[in-house]
Order: sequence, then structure tokens, then C-alpha cells
Amino acid sequence: MTAAPNKTSTTPGAQLPASAISPPLGQSSTTPDTRLRAVSLAAAGAGAGTDTHCPYCALQCAMTVTPAVPEPTIAGRDFPTNRSGLCRKGWTSAALLGHASRVTTPLLRGADGQHRPIDWEQALDLIADNVLRTRAVHGPDAVGVFGGGGLTNEKAYQLGKFARLALGTSRIDYNGRFCMSSAAAAGNRAFGLDRGLPFPLADLDNAHTVLMLGSNVAETMPPFVQHLAGAREAGGLIVVDPRRTATAEFTGDGAGLHLQPVPATDLVLLLGLAHIVIADGLANTEFISKRTHGYDALARSVASWWPERVQSVTGVPVQQLRETARLLAVGAQRGGSYILTGRGVEQHVDGTDTATAAINLALLLGLPGSTTSGYGTLTGQGNGQGGREHGQKADQLPGYRKITDPAARAHVAKVWGVEPEDIPGPGLPAVELLASLGKPHGVRTFFIHGANVAVSAPNASEVLEGLRQLDFLVVADFFMSETAREAHLVLPVLQWAEEEGTMTNLEGRVLRRRAVLSPPAGARSELWIMSELARRLDAPSSFSSDPETVFTELRAASAGGLADYSGIDYAMLDAGAEAYWPYPAGSQGTPRLFLERFAHADGRAVLTPVTPSSRSARDTLFTGATLALVTGRLLEHYQSGSQTRRVQALSDAAPRAELLIHPLAAQSRGILDGARVTIANGRGTVRCTATYSRAIRSDTVFLPFHFPAEENANLLTSAAVDPISGMPEFKASSVTVTADTPIHAPADAVSEQAGSLDAALEAVA
Amino acid sequence: MTLAPQHIVVIGYGPVAARLAEELLPSVRRGELALTIIGEEPTAAYNRVLVADLGVGRTTEEAISVSDAAELRAAGMTVLMGVLVRRVDRARRGVLLSDGTWIGYDKLVFATGARPVVPTLHGLNPDPTARVPLPRGVSALRDLADAAVLRNAVVRHERVVVLGGGILGLEAALAARDEGAHVTVVHHGAHTLGRSIDAGAGHTVAAALRARGITVVSQARAVGVELSPGADGVPTFSGLLQDAGATVEGELLLLSCGVRPRIEVAAGAGLATDRGILVDHQLMAHHDPHIFALGDCAEVRCLDATCPECADNSGPLGLIGPGWRQAEWLAGFLSDSAAATAPRPTVPLPAERAPVIMLKARGVDVAAAGDVSAGPFDDVPGLNISQWVDPEHGKYVKMSTRGGVLAGFVSVGMPRAGAELTLLFERGSELPADRSALLRLDGSDGDSGAVAVADPTRTVCRCAGVSEESITDAVTGGCATVPELSATTRAGTGCGGCHGELKSLIEAHFAPAAA
Repeated sequence: MTAAPNKTSTTPGAQLPASAISPPLGQSSTTPDTRLRAVSLAAAGAGAGTDTHCPYCALQCAMTVTPAVPEPTIAGRDFPTNRSGLCRKGWTSAALLGHASRVTTPLLRGADGQHRPIDWEQALDLIADNVLRTRAVHGPDAVGVFGGGGLTNEKAYQLGKFARLALGTSRIDYNGRFCMSSAAAAGNRAFGLDRGLPFPLADLDNAHTVLMLGSNVAETMPPFVQHLAGAREAGGLIVVDPRRTATAEFTGDGAGLHLQPVPATDLVLLLGLAHIVIADGLANTEFISKRTHGYDALARSVASWWPERVQSVTGVPVQQLRETARLLAVGAQRGGSYILTGRGVEQHVDGTDTATAAINLALLLGLPGSTTSGYGTLTGQGNGQGGREHGQKADQLPGYRKITDPAARAHVAKVWGVEPEDIPGPGLPAVELLASLGKPHGVRTFFIHGANVAVSAPNASEVLEGLRQLDFLVVADFFMSETAREAHLVLPVLQWAEEEGTMTNLEGRVLRRRAVLSPPAGARSELWIMSELARRLDAPSSFSSDPETVFTELRAASAGGLADYSGIDYAMLDAGAEAYWPYPAGSQGTPRLFLERFAHADGRAVLTPVTPSSRSARDTLFTGATLALVTGRLLEHYQSGSQTRRVQALSDAAPRAELLIHPLAAQSRGILDGARVTIANGRGTVRCTATYSRAIRSDTVFLPFHFPAEENANLLTSAAVDPISGMPEFKASSVTVTADTPIHAPADAVSEQAGSLDAALEAVA
Repeated sequence: MTLAPQHIVVIGYGPVAARLAEELLPSVRRGELALTIIGEEPTAAYNRVLVADLGVGRTTEEAISVSDAAELRAAGMTVLMGVLVRRVDRARRGVLLSDGTWIGYDKLVFATGARPVVPTLHGLNPDPTARVPLPRGVSALRDLADAAVLRNAVVRHERVVVLGGGILGLEAALAARDEGAHVTVVHHGAHTLGRSIDAGAGHTVAAALRARGITVVSQARAVGVELSPGADGVPTFSGLLQDAGATVEGELLLLSCGVRPRIEVAAGAGLATDRGILVDHQLMAHHDPHIFALGDCAEVRCLDATCPECADNSGPLGLIGPGWRQAEWLAGFLSDSAAATAPRPTVPLPAERAPVIMLKARGVDVAAAGDVSAGPFDDVPGLNISQWVDPEHGKYVKMSTRGGVLAGFVSVGMPRAGAELTLLFERGSELPADRSALLRLDGSDGDSGAVAVADPTRTVCRCAGVSEESITDAVTGGCATVPELSATTRAGTGCGGCHGELKSLIEAHFAPAAA
């Protein structure tokens, strides 16, 4: 079960000709180690592949990349998570490495709005000048940073340190706020710790029952589905989704159940399941009394959610609710039961409470803290796990430490060689941070790393407006993303196969990302950029441009924290060690958390009663002719699509946004299959084509969120946020859908048009 | 803030009063309000909706509890249990308790609920305030004591006679039967659930009851109870006497003849009452701004004779959902008026939509709402009826619409249709023109099963995006196993979900050769 050993030597000190990589312009202060570790096309012999992991999602499928012409070849590699499997995105990931539209030099926007090349010295000096000016006029918090869940641990760690020490600002947050913050808050509240899966993914293989809420793994991380085979065999795969997704299809033929609730009613659904578990005596009373707090209050809080009441809110028949509860309880006795949540239930104004309700249900059944059962949340972004542990979150310091905790500040200050009071306090969560752009007392100079907020942030048109109000916007990216186009200065950075570092996958396992190729001549690593800027800004502490040096510092900063990496080093990862955090120095790491105790001081998990919020979108989704809009991913694309839309094979397969609409909903609106439609609400308007689908509830429509401009689903989503996590309400918006050229069926006569509509309906039946 | 906080006294500690207290917890904790809650029962509030489940042993008292007196007390509330309010003195603003205690109030809230109706039967005292209890073997099903009586009969597999064919009667009958009792339902209508559903649905439900071994006696007129001396000589129920027809024998008579709001203390204090305590849209008693009522005891009817909302008022709804919404609203109103800050503009309590009735029973799905009396060929202007009737399989759906919007529906034996119709009714959404789409949700093929059409360009492996064509080409080109296909086309290299289909395509290619 261990990873195949690394085939190419990438250990420190491996000697490669300096010419193998492009020497950065005008820099001499950085260590040459990074360069030495990169394996160039020229240096690598034919067929010598490098073991690394996929650039995209949190499954971080293991792959071997072999330099070749015209582009490197990709092969799936046997690993416990993906078992050699890759999806289309992984197979085609090399297409971006030598892509023609790659940004290869710093670009400065002129007065005419055109971006023109400048050299790195000029670019870095310009940034430093702008930071100093903003700081002098508006104070340090007028400089802000936005990070990403795709950055390596090293970059995420150094970005947090850079913001606090070099920029002196508290204003840093990242796009993971849009992904994992609700589940993270719920995990911390219940268990005292947040690691997406507190067990290795392969543990799912033997489960009898797997309840997946709001996650479409068959499209978002296809190789994951291999781990559901056991539950499908046992008839125990239960998928909760308003859409009969590819994942929900796997429940067919007796493999399990598909529950199809109204959007934004997941919390009520979970309260109803907890009610049944308690009322019907399915709860694990021994576990509850020995390992949890708060049962009595929880039981009282769900007593008012009897199944019929839950059916009347969710639309899920009572019998399915009872069967779900039964399968979970039976499964816990036979092989094991798992409850897994995804963004579909977490991206709501009551997302933290919804994830809490899922955890409560798991605790009532005694699932967490076992070797055969559990609760987990499926992290989305490539380093969505590691990215939320090491300090790019507004309220955190490395090691998953609270920035408000004096002991945590003292520890990190010591590692950084500064005084605790030199570290600013908590900043603003992403939605608030973005809302402050260009506003009085808001951020004036802004750095964006590894994020495309112009497409991915909720209520995107207001975010775009904010970006345009900034005094100075710096975007580090390898393509001219929709956000980069708004930048005063674009900095070309490295892609996954051009850099060294570590990523932490959805299991909390730390993996090595390895350089296979040399980057284009003008591109630089973000570590180097931070190092150069820190020097220009006269920052305290040190900012290395060498990933391994940064990781060594990260280990020290995380030591003693919840996410303790102090016992992990590159050499052991290169040797294939299975390194699950917490991994304190001298330990063997922690593949399974909570087996003996939960992470709260008394070792017990906390059952927190939750109730549906009066702010929930639930009650206002349907007024008159409105439909509920849910958004999500397609198999072919990743996040804002900035990368995958540039891969020909993926773009050919899914070139445009398509609205999935039930033929019944379409028919009453005079919308033909394939017709152009307008989707609108008070926040914005989207125009795209409609595609008939009987897989979706007839009161709900689906839009993928990978597309820009008039196809951008986030023009319609709300920036209302969860009061605990700051998570926006992505997964339930009230919209109208109208045909651009409506086909009206006369009420009392069968016209030709009505006939053609009927024929269209027939065709999808 | 030198003034003493306003003192709110709540009469009743049922689920609605408990919700009010819970919502007021923050204000009480902040010291902006003081609250005393007075309950007649010796226990904290519990969910009455689940008393039948408790009575048949499906759940526990602990699991149906909805309030914790200790938590309320810890927040500073006074919680009195096992005491009655004897009278209310509005002039002196105080209540006198059965134990002689006097408690003054600034605001008084009636949450006294309702009590079961005891029908006029020879052998029973119908006086709701009677101190003489019902004879042994006769019980309603409203509180924990009643549940214990039913429990006793169910564990002994006794004969239970349920008097009343309404929703609560049927729920009790089905639950008791499922758990082993022998059950007869006696009701006076032509069909069960007469108030909520039409004859067709009633017959379908009756058939479902009979199929489960429940005896249904319709159009019965019960006139008295027959009492026989029990083992200890105490007169005990032994049969229900009918005006015509045989005596229905049994060991327990369960009265399920509706409930009546408890208004006697309010009436005694001179407050306006009809079926319930009359309150306006702010739940305020007529002509007394210090007194409120909510839940089962309250009847919303304002003083404006032309008010459209009050025009078709039919008394208290007797449902928990509206009671909880009233409690949430009233808590906001009371805490806003007590808070030091300027009061927010009062958002009126939204009018209740007509309720959806759902039968809580395992395996018998019934949901209904609105008026479903008209038939498909009755000439009611503006009303259209669609119907699906399949008595053999216990399925019955009727949808009555005005302008495409549901005016009423009933669904029996069609769980998904029932669930969707419930949502559509509550939203007031237009139904799909093709009404049968709703019925198909319960079809054996579901609604998503697309018929597989032969199409060589269709994608077999979604993960890698490989078409059937590419696969058959690869098979023709020599791939004879799934791993070979995967190596050549990448099909099957993602989730593995298409391996079965890949095998079939390989087999299909080689089959003719083998034949």
C-alpha cells in the first residue's frame, strides 16, 4: 500500500547543469537549490518519468510525468487513493505546460488598458513603491492579500508570513473560504480539530453504508468512486442531491438510495435523520455516554423534527428517510458506515450548522473515532487541506493555530524571530475582504495568488467593481485569467510540474510535488517573489525562495499546533512515507484521528444543537415563477476554468455553460432544448443555452461555475454569508429563467410550435 | 436600566410555550425580561405529535422531550410544574395558583392548549373539567399518562377500540396494530378522514387499514360504553355500544374525537372567547394590551369586521407548526418591546396557509390539503380536477387546481407525488401542464431512467471521455481485455464505473465469431 518509490532522483544535492533551467533575471540573493532540483527536459533521459501528483483537485491522484515532445506524457500511478486512475483533467494536464497563452514576463497595464512587458526589477520595485505609498497614506491594513487553496504548503505558509511581516497587514484570506470553511468550523466545534477525512480514503472500501451529501465525486474526482464499490455491493450507497448526478446514478440497480431534496433544506433533512435515529432507538448509547457531551440538549432539539414534518420541507418521502437511518445503523454493525459532506450542503448561510448536523448524526450512531466508520468532508481544491492550516486564513497562524491565542502568537513569533506584537491580529474573511476593495478604510493595494475571484467569488459583478476601484492590483498567475486582466501588474509564476513543494490531500496526507520541467524563461516562483519583495520592504525575519528551506521553517512553526508537521521532511516523503498529520517529531503520524480521544481538552466530542436559520434561502427560493439555482462542477473543468478552458480536449468536450432544466419547467416557460435562455435575479444576468434534463428536480436548475463573462454563474449567487464560517450562499439562489425566443404553446389549440415542443419532450423521455 | 425588567407570565408548558421560552432565553439572560412559566403537568414540555408513537412503544419519553426546565431556570426563568392557574385578576395584573401562590405580571401569555373532547356516551362524564376521571379502560391520547394506558394495552396485545376516524385516530390505530394490538376503528362518517379527503381517497385508505388487519366500522353511531367489573372489581371498559349493530368489544377504548381549546381561565377573567381565546394579528387579547394567547387555545380574529384574513377563520388550527411560528413571532415582539434600544418596526405575523394533513404511519402514505370534494366532471367554475385511481394497488391521487395552481390535493399510496404536491401547495406554484409527470415520480422506473438508444458516438467512459466508437475500434484493433482497452483508449481509468460495459462491448465483438 505504499507509494511506488520515486523513479527520478530529486533528492537535495542532485547535480544538474545550471543551464538546465532558466536563470531568473537580475537576482543573485536567492539560493540556487531550487534550480538544482528541477529536472529539465534536456537532462532527463528518455522515458525517465518523475513521480508527482495531479495539479487539480484534492484527491491529488498520483501520476508519473515524463518529459516528451511536444508535451510531457502523463501516466496514472498506483497509489492508495487513485489506484492508477485519472480523469480527463489529469490525463490532459500536461497540455498547459507549454501552452501558447502562458504569461512569460511581468506585464504592466498602461493608461490605454493594454498590458505590456516590463522586467522583473521594475516590477518588484513598482510593487514595493505602491505598498509603501498605500501604507503611508492609508495604513498597513490598506494592503491586502488573497491566497488560494491550490498553492503548495510552502507558498501558503510563506504568503501568510509575508502578509503579516513584510506587508504588516491583517488583511489576508483565501479562496478556501469559499470551499471548506463551513465544514472546517463544524469539525473544529465538534471534534476540536478539522482534517477533511480523519481516516485514509481506502477505509471506505469495506464500508456497508456511505451517505454522501452534496458531493458529486463521479464528476469532481472520478477515481474516488472506486472506494464506493463495497457500499454499492452492499446496497448501502446513499446520495443526497437535488440532481440525479453521475454519483447519484451509482445508487441505481439496488446499489442504494438517491434522496432528492429541495435545495437549501439539507439541514432539516439531517435533523430528521437524527430524530429517527433517536426515536427509533438506533443511537449508540454507549458511545454517546463515553465519548460525547450534549446529548440531552441535542435530543430535545431534534424532537420537533419528526419525519413527516421533514418530508413537508424537503420533499424527501418519509420512507426514504427511515431507510437511510436504518442503513446507517445497520451498516455501523456490519462493516461500517460513513457520512461524507461536500460543498452542496456546506455552501449555505447555515453551512456550518448543516455540517454540524451531519456530524451530530454521525456521533449519535457512534461512527467517528473508529477504524471502520466515520464522518468526513471532501476537500475540493488541490491543497484545500494544507492551504487552510498554515496561515493564509484571516484568523490563523501556521499549524492551524488561532491568531488570537497569545501562546500561538508567542510560538510563531519565536520561530519568525519577531515579537508577538509584530504579528497583526485577525483580518477579514474573504467575502468581507473582497467587499472592502477600494472602499473607504478598505484595501487599496491588493495581491492575488492562485485565485480567479472575478469568476469564482459570489456576486461576481460587485467583486469585479471592487477590483477596478483599487489603487494597485497585483495578480500572480500563469495565464491571463479574468482576474489577471483587471490587474495593474501581472506576475508570471510557475506551474505544478515546474516547482517543488508539498501538498496535503483530502485525507490529511502530505505529498510531494516535484519539478519535471524547467519553467519558461520569464516565470518565477512565488517564493522568490516574496523573498525579493520582503527585501525591498525591509521586512524582518527571513523569506527563503527554496521550498525545502521554507518547509523546514513551516515544520518548526507548526510544531505543537493542531496540524503539526514537525516530524515530516522531504527525504521521508521522497521515500514514500505515508505522512498523515498531526505528525509531531518523533511520532509515526496519524492515519486515523480520534481513535482514543477527540481533540477537545477533555477528549470528548461535542454535540451542538442546531436549528434551521431564519436567514436561509429556503423560504425565499420560490416566489411566483422563480426556480432554485444550484451551481457545481463538470467533469471536464476545474474551478473558474482558467486552466481547463485552455486545454483543447476539455474545452472541446464542454466549451460553454449549459443550464440544466427539467423539461416540465422548460415547457411552461416556452423553452426548447438547446435554446438560448436568460437566467436572472436582482444580482445579475446570465445568458447561455438550456439543456433538458430529467435528472434535476423540476423546481431547480443547474449551472456549472467554470465559465466567465455572461456565462458566469456567480453573477447570480449571493454574498450573504454564514455567520460562523464566512461561507457564502453559493448553492441556492432564486432565479427566473426565460427563453430569449420563447415558444408559446396556445392553451386551447395544438399549434405546430406546441407540437414541436411535445416532440422535444418525447425525445428526452 | 434601573427599572425592574418586565415580568412575563406564561400559562402552560406545552411545546408552544416551550418554544416561546426558548426564544426568550437571550432576553432573560441579558436581564431585559423576567419570565415565569406555569405548567399543569409534572413534566417539562414534550412533543405531543409523538404521543401515539410513545403509546405503542416506538419511542421513549426522553426522545420526545422538547424542553429542559433546568436550562430555563439556569437562565433565570421561574418554572413551575404540577400547578394549575385558578384565576387571573386583570385589574391587579396577577394570577392565583392552585397552591394559593399569587404571581404578578406585566404581560400574560395564555398557552393553555387544548384538551380532548369526551363524546356524549352513556357511561362517560363529558364535563371537560370533571374531577372524576374516565372509567378504567377508556382514554384519550394526548398526554404521557394516556400514552402509558395505550402502552399497557399494546404490550398485552389487547383489543383496542378507536372511536373517531380522523387523522389522530388513524395514526393511533395503525401504530397500535403494527405493534401487535387488535384494533377496530369506529367512526360515524361514510369514510375515514372525512374532513380532509374525498370518498375515493377514503375508500383507498380504508382498504389499506383493512389490509393491515384493522377492522373499520363506518357510519356508526356510538351511544355508550359497556363496563364490566375487572379482576379487582373496579368497573372496566368491555365494549362500545352502538345505536344499531353489535357492541364492539375490547379492553381499551381510545377516544379520538377532536380537541377543544382550554379557555375557561381566560373566559373567567372576562376575556373575549369563541372557540378559542380571541386575539388580533399581534396575538393580543381583545381590549387588553397586557394579555396574549397563542397555540391551540388562541383564535386569531381581529376587531376589524372587514378583515379578509379573518373572514374564513374556522377557529384554532390545532396544529403544532402554526403554534411554533406564533411563538417565534411573539418572542420577537416581546423582546423587542423590552429591549432598551428603539423598537424595530413590527413585521406582522404572516397569515397561515391552509394546512397540509399528513398521516404519520409507516407504509400508509396519505397527504392532503385544501378542498378536494369536487369530482373531475363536476361543473365548478374555474376549478379543474385531475385524478389517478388504482384501488387494487392502494393508489389514489386527486389534484384540484385554479389557474394551474393547487387549490387542494389528496395523495394516497404515492409517497413522492404526495411529497411534491405538498411543496407545490405550500408554495402556491403552478403545476406542470402534464399532471402525469407527478405520478411518474412514484413509477418503478423513476423519472430519470432514459431509455438507452443505440448511438455509437455516445460516451461510455465519462471520466476519460471515450466514446463507444473509439472502444469498438480498439476492440477491433485487438484489445480483448479491459486492461488492454484502458491502456489503448484510457477508457475505464477513472472511476471504473464503466468496466462492466467495456466487458460487454468486448464480448459483443467476439460473440459472433464464437457462434
